[in-house]
Amino acid sequence: MFTKVLFATSASPCCDAAARVAFDMAERYSAELVTFHVLGVPSRGYSQTVTDVRTGDQVEADEDYNQWVMEELKITYEKQLADCPECELATGTGVPYREVLRKAREIDADLIVMGASTTACEIPESHRRGVAGSTLQAVAKSSRCPVLVVNRPSASYWGGFSNVVFATDFSKASDSAFQFALKTAKEMGCTLNLFHAVDITGVHAGKSPDQDAIEDQVMAARKKIREKYVWQMDGFKEYDIDVWEGIPYVEIVKFAREKQADLIIMAHHTHEIDAEKAAFGSTLEQVLLRATCPVASVNRPDKI
Amino acid sequence: MPEGTLCNKQPVTTQEQLDALLKDKGGELYYKEMESLDVDTEKLWASIQKTCKSRTKTWLDICAHCGLCADSCFLYDVNDKDPKQVPAYKIQSTLGEIVKRKGKVDNEFMRMCMETAWSKCTCCNRCAMYCPYGIDMGVMFGYLRGLLYSQGFVPWELKIGSGMHRLYRAQMDVTSEDFVDTCEWMAEEAEEEWPGLTIPVDKENADIIYCINAREAKHYPEDISEAATLFHIAGENWTVPSNGWEMTSLSMFAGDWEACRMQVEEVYAAMDRLKPKRMVATECGHAFRATVTEGPYWAGLESGKPPVESIHYVEWVAEALRTGKLKIDPAKKIKEPVTYQDSCNYIRNAGLRDCAREILSYIAEDFREMAPNGDHNYCCGGGGGFNGIGRYRKQRNKALEKKRDQILATGCKLVIAPCHNCWDAIRDLEEEFDVGIRWTFLKPLLLDMVIVPEHLKPEE
Repeated sequence: MFTKVLFATSASPCCDAAARVAFDMAERYSAELVTFHVLGVPSRGYSQTVTDVRTGDQVEADEDYNQWVMEELKITYEKQLADCPECELATGTGVPYREVLRKAREIDADLIVMGASTTACEIPESHRRGVAGSTLQAVAKSSRCPVLVVNRPSASYWGGFSNVVFATDFSKASDSAFQFALKTAKEMGCTLNLFHAVDITGVHAGKSPDQDAIEDQVMAARKKIREKYVWQMDGFKEYDIDVWEGIPYVEIVKFAREKQADLIIMAHHTHEIDAEKAAFGSTLEQVLLRATCPVASVNRPDKI
Repeated sequence: MPEGTLCNKQPVTTQEQLDALLKDKGGELYYKEMESLDVDTEKLWASIQKTCKSRTKTWLDICAHCGLCADSCFLYDVNDKDPKQVPAYKIQSTLGEIVKRKGKVDNEFMRMCMETAWSKCTCCNRCAMYCPYGIDMGVMFGYLRGLLYSQGFVPWELKIGSGMHRLYRAQMDVTSEDFVDTCEWMAEEAEEEWPGLTIPVDKENADIIYCINAREAKHYPEDISEAATLFHIAGENWTVPSNGWEMTSLSMFAGDWEACRMQVEEVYAAMDRLKPKRMVATECGHAFRATVTEGPYWAGLESGKPPVESIHYVEWVAEALRTGKLKIDPAKKIKEPVTYQDSCNYIRNAGLRDCAREILSYIAEDFREMAPNGDHNYCCGGGGGFNGIGRYRKQRNKALEKKRDQILATGCKLVIAPCHNCWDAIRDLEEEFDVGIRWTFLKPLLLDMVIVPEHLKPEE
């Protein structure tokens, strides 16, 4: 199912759950795995000096430094590498999301695996803003292949699959996510749960839709799922359709929990990558921070 | 030791030399070698006799030491009005002395000159506006840097930078293939959101040839993508050259005049080859100075102008907004107070003050000027190469205080800085002083507020 997996890591404990899935998948699918770490972000104008993403120190990103970081990476993933000797380690310098996208393009990756946010996981719980990392946001926006996000340790099991949840907002990007979900369900031989959440968050703004209207919307969404997706399934019978109402990200997480889903697949099509502005905007970002299973973000049809 | 292995009078001409320099962490060995680098006083004097023309000689002679330049210099101001930071003193005690002593100066003196030329002057040319005689210390420091470079007394990063220009015709190791591939990549990334968008490479007779700063290709390729999108929305017939796309010049900061010429000739060759109607330069200040203001003289062009009409990005934006090629959605104008960083190199030194204000009149509801501003604005604190030199980081950070205070006095949290150097300096000042401001180029702002014509929108 996957032949080239790019595991993009900040090499901090925040990426441990993602590491487990990445190495697991490489083994399961005999996929080539490239573990990629952007070691430094350009600083000091035009000079070669970079700010180390782990230590915050300003360093010269030369060959010696690179070697040193490579050694650190080997130690960090010593256990996993022992089971996956062909895994390639690579480092880069630059703006992390940009370099992850560059690397994915260079190796023609068909899947990127990442943690949700290193910054968010390393600051105390009380100060967390509950937002996905800026690197993830930007990678998910522009990636041509699906991006698998593993945030919570409980999500780090990529094993026997019985339930995949495809959550749709009926957008064009969701069409690509659907194709990936269908392919995954077929190959894994598991149930595909087609899900939509009717957004009634307007309640908080003082608007109180009557129950008939909500139920009409639920009915309409069920019909839409049938019309839009079911005919494309080419005889695949293992599917269910559900539509719930509420705050979309809450409903998606609840639904996945109830179904004991092993994977949630969604589109990430917000055009806003400014972390400040997108902080509370994206359903996907909330889902992947909260879900107890990995979440795959799919935007484009290219690499499915 | 007459010449060091890394620190010497030879320019970088091979990859091996460049790699050896890069391997020397922070220039440790380089600066050590500099301490015993011989000064070729005969060559220095011969060079002065040949290149120190009447203007410089006159300026050095007629300076009345009146001190009126003192308060014009932001470095004098932030350093507690240290008399050693008075522009006239700085140039008289360095270039003035070298000329007076007919080049007979020693190693220690040259190292003092290096420190003065690269950490006490950003070549912002503000002092020239306040000198009753119009003496331009910035121009003379540029000249002094050339003399120092030819003797091997140049900061490590700038020896590397000018070496990059010699080897790659770019300030960073970005080849023509890398650049073209990056353009293809950015077009691929944009194709879904912007159907029909292309980044045409080497298209002949286009209306616009677009030239950039190599950092955009190396680290911030979305800048190229944003430029492409705005040209696309504006319906421009444009192109980028596969060679000659880099218009910056770290060699200008370094005083490596030969590399300056080599670099700018590459850009002019692209203009000659592709015959565009005009060139649009990216949001960079020193790149404009190098390719448009000074470049023609390095390349020996008698007109004093590049081969085709060359305009800065702010000129293109002002024109596009004025003529309606780009239209701003009134609801998306910047509502919060916003200020503008006037880049010395294209505002004071190329007269584009009103252009920038015209843009702001279209996009901002609460534009607040810094004081002073326009032609009289202060350097961001990191110009002339200051931003990238590790050895003078402390002095550079001190220099940022002026800009910090200017920005804070406006009450704005958002600073528009359409210049890579200014952008860097303002980012650094936020990092250094944590004052809670944001900074941006024009392109991402415009993309947020421009009205996209229906026919360019993707089908949903």
